[in-house]
Amino acid sequence: MDWRSGRLPLNGMRVVDWTVYWAGPFLGEMLHDLGAEVIKVESPSNWDSMRTVIDVNRYAGDTARPLTPQERANVNQHYNEWNRGKLSLGVELTNPRGRQLMLDLAAKSDIFIENHRPGAKEKLGVAYDDVCAARPDVIYLSLSGYGQTPPERDAMALGAPVELASGLFSLNGYEDADTPAKTGFSYGDPVGALAALSALLLAVRKLRKAGEGSYLDIAMRDALAFGAGAAFTDWSANHEVRPRRGNRHPVFAPQGVYRCRGDDAWVAISVRDDRDWQALGDALGVPDWYTDVRFSTSEERRESHDEIDAHIEGWTSQREPRDAEEALQRHGVPAGAVLDLRQVGDDQHLAARGAFQEIEHPAFGREVRASSQWGRGEHPQPIDMPAPCFGQHNRDVLLGILGMDDAAIEELERDGVVASEIVAGED
Amino acid sequence: MRVFDDLHVVELSDTAAAAIAGRLCADAGADVTLVEPPAGHPLRREGPCVGDDSTVHLHVNAGKHSRVFDFETQADELRKLVEDADVFLTDWPTSRLERLGLGPTSLRDRVPSVIITQVTHFGDYGPYRDYAGSNLVALALGGQLKITGDPDRPPLSNYGAQAEYQAGLSAFAGTVANVLLRDADGRGDTLDISVLDVVATNSEHRGPALNLGAVANRAGLSVSATYGVYPCADGFVYLTAFAPPLWERLKSMVGLPELEKERFATQAARLENNDELQAVLTGWTLSKTSDELRGFARRGDPLTVMETPERLLTSGQWRNRGVAHDIDGYSLLGPPWPHDDAPRPAPALGEQA
Repeated sequence: MDWRSGRLPLNGMRVVDWTVYWAGPFLGEMLHDLGAEVIKVESPSNWDSMRTVIDVNRYAGDTARPLTPQERANVNQHYNEWNRGKLSLGVELTNPRGRQLMLDLAAKSDIFIENHRPGAKEKLGVAYDDVCAARPDVIYLSLSGYGQTPPERDAMALGAPVELASGLFSLNGYEDADTPAKTGFSYGDPVGALAALSALLLAVRKLRKAGEGSYLDIAMRDALAFGAGAAFTDWSANHEVRPRRGNRHPVFAPQGVYRCRGDDAWVAISVRDDRDWQALGDALGVPDWYTDVRFSTSEERRESHDEIDAHIEGWTSQREPRDAEEALQRHGVPAGAVLDLRQVGDDQHLAARGAFQEIEHPAFGREVRASSQWGRGEHPQPIDMPAPCFGQHNRDVLLGILGMDDAAIEELERDGVVASEIVAGED
Repeated sequence: MRVFDDLHVVELSDTAAAAIAGRLCADAGADVTLVEPPAGHPLRREGPCVGDDSTVHLHVNAGKHSRVFDFETQADELRKLVEDADVFLTDWPTSRLERLGLGPTSLRDRVPSVIITQVTHFGDYGPYRDYAGSNLVALALGGQLKITGDPDRPPLSNYGAQAEYQAGLSAFAGTVANVLLRDADGRGDTLDISVLDVVATNSEHRGPALNLGAVANRAGLSVSATYGVYPCADGFVYLTAFAPPLWERLKSMVGLPELEKERFATQAARLENNDELQAVLTGWTLSKTSDELRGFARRGDPLTVMETPERLLTSGQWRNRGVAHDIDGYSLLGPPWPHDDAPRPAPALGEQA
């Protein structure tokens, strides 16, 4: 891939993106990063709830008046994060003419992605068979919590709770704790999205080589479980529940998260091998650690982990996280400050690689967005478009892609089939 | 889907990042050669084990062949192997690759068609390029560590090598993308993936943090009474009634008159009386077993029951989906998408059959 010469793998492909919340929208955003034209389809009566469900709509500019529902829907910082680079079509899918518009669009597209609850696409008549009738070689991807198969098809799924259903939650936790732990806010979403993307790109190769479309049934749970696959293999053979590991590692010792100077300030440190162990002793000013026979192997250091941790924390607690990180990295010891997301946004390394870039959003103004994760480095792939306002590109899609004329579009607008504003109810 | 059955991948890896990407290449049908030092791949040493085999190795190296190289004396042979490959997949930093004559730039000059996917903790460009990395360090610097764990305890890593897993998925997707490009014109591309980049990209709440200054911290098991983990009689359950229609559904599922009180009538009221609501709901969840709660979940009620590897391996849903495969005395999970064939077992050291 080389954005400078326009060398992107999905150039010339079009995607119908009928997705909501995080996993599905993130998938669509990544397809845009890889060169596809992505059209986000939302209904004025049933828009992507990410626009409004979580209250991150405070407008950064000067607002003496409260935002209208439509304004709120266009400045949401979750929606705008995961829908960058898309065109927006506002079409009422419960209206038969609206449904037909989406199928007409699908007929002129290569890929169709959706992550509604299983059953929703069948109810609206936009399931794989319906789209296949319009576009026989379509790649249709459904991303759900548990998959399209019984008996768990109808269970409710969001990225956070699905971690409980995946087995991962049961494995997480502080060292030797009885209580499991949950990852971040909603870990099933990014992992599900990356698994879906992988499957979809494989299907694109099949399409290009054999001319065959695909139906892809992807489950966030399966993707989370795969990332913990060794635990499944372990259970299957050994039938033993292992103690929780916390921040410790089965081989690296010591490894941990150590308190630093400051409020909720921490540094993560990993000693991968004996070389790192020697370097850690040098960095902490205890060079005789390396020759101490009690600590000469990783196994022995794991046995004395608490004692070693106390010594490390004596050193880190006198330093700020970034200072500890630098001092340890100077000696070649893997170490990193525990950053909050604002600090991540300010990080010089990520900045140098172009991870976060500014773009002008038509409703929010200047905003910072993450760039393509395959376009980072000395010449990062620029962010080319912000997330769309609801219905922002109706005319581009209807005129430019579906070839309608102004009169037909005006009729659709008049009849409420196409809309550029959401129809908000009460919360 | 075995759409990679025309491709030879050579993998030179130390961590799960490249190893997961190589595993997925093998699942897609590629012939994957795992290059190992005489002492074996580092992940072979990560327990617990099945017999003498590391479960991490069995999982991430499934479907690969193994070839042993002495990097001091067999660098020429290794270089030849890589130059003849369709894809070179590595998590070694460039400085180490250069000592073997396999630096991405020189390899590209010699072989225009090879796809090079390099997935390192910090990437091949930027001020931390020469930093030493680990899964835990990438979680820390990428923002995912700070938001996991209890607020009054240290930030907590989740199970396994999740930063490297995310990067492995990203590296695999990027590799498939570059295969698509090479199919069209025969040219190979070089990909520089950083584990840190992927973690930072995948962090939710980044939009509000960077654009509204709203930094979220770790919240333990419970975000609020209507969105969090509860104990049940024999496990844990997640209640997800954060929006009005879900709350209505939760009320009819729980069926307790207390929930009809004015104090819980609106979203704002529920947040204001959060602890009281949590106590009521805890009383209800503790009175139910996981099996009873699964019945609610399957009909679409707003809750999710904790499952363990043990239960999932025998679950009807996974049987119907063909997620897990019986190998030789153990199970392996297949790739997280529809697949027909079971993965082949991971190789013994040097096994090429």
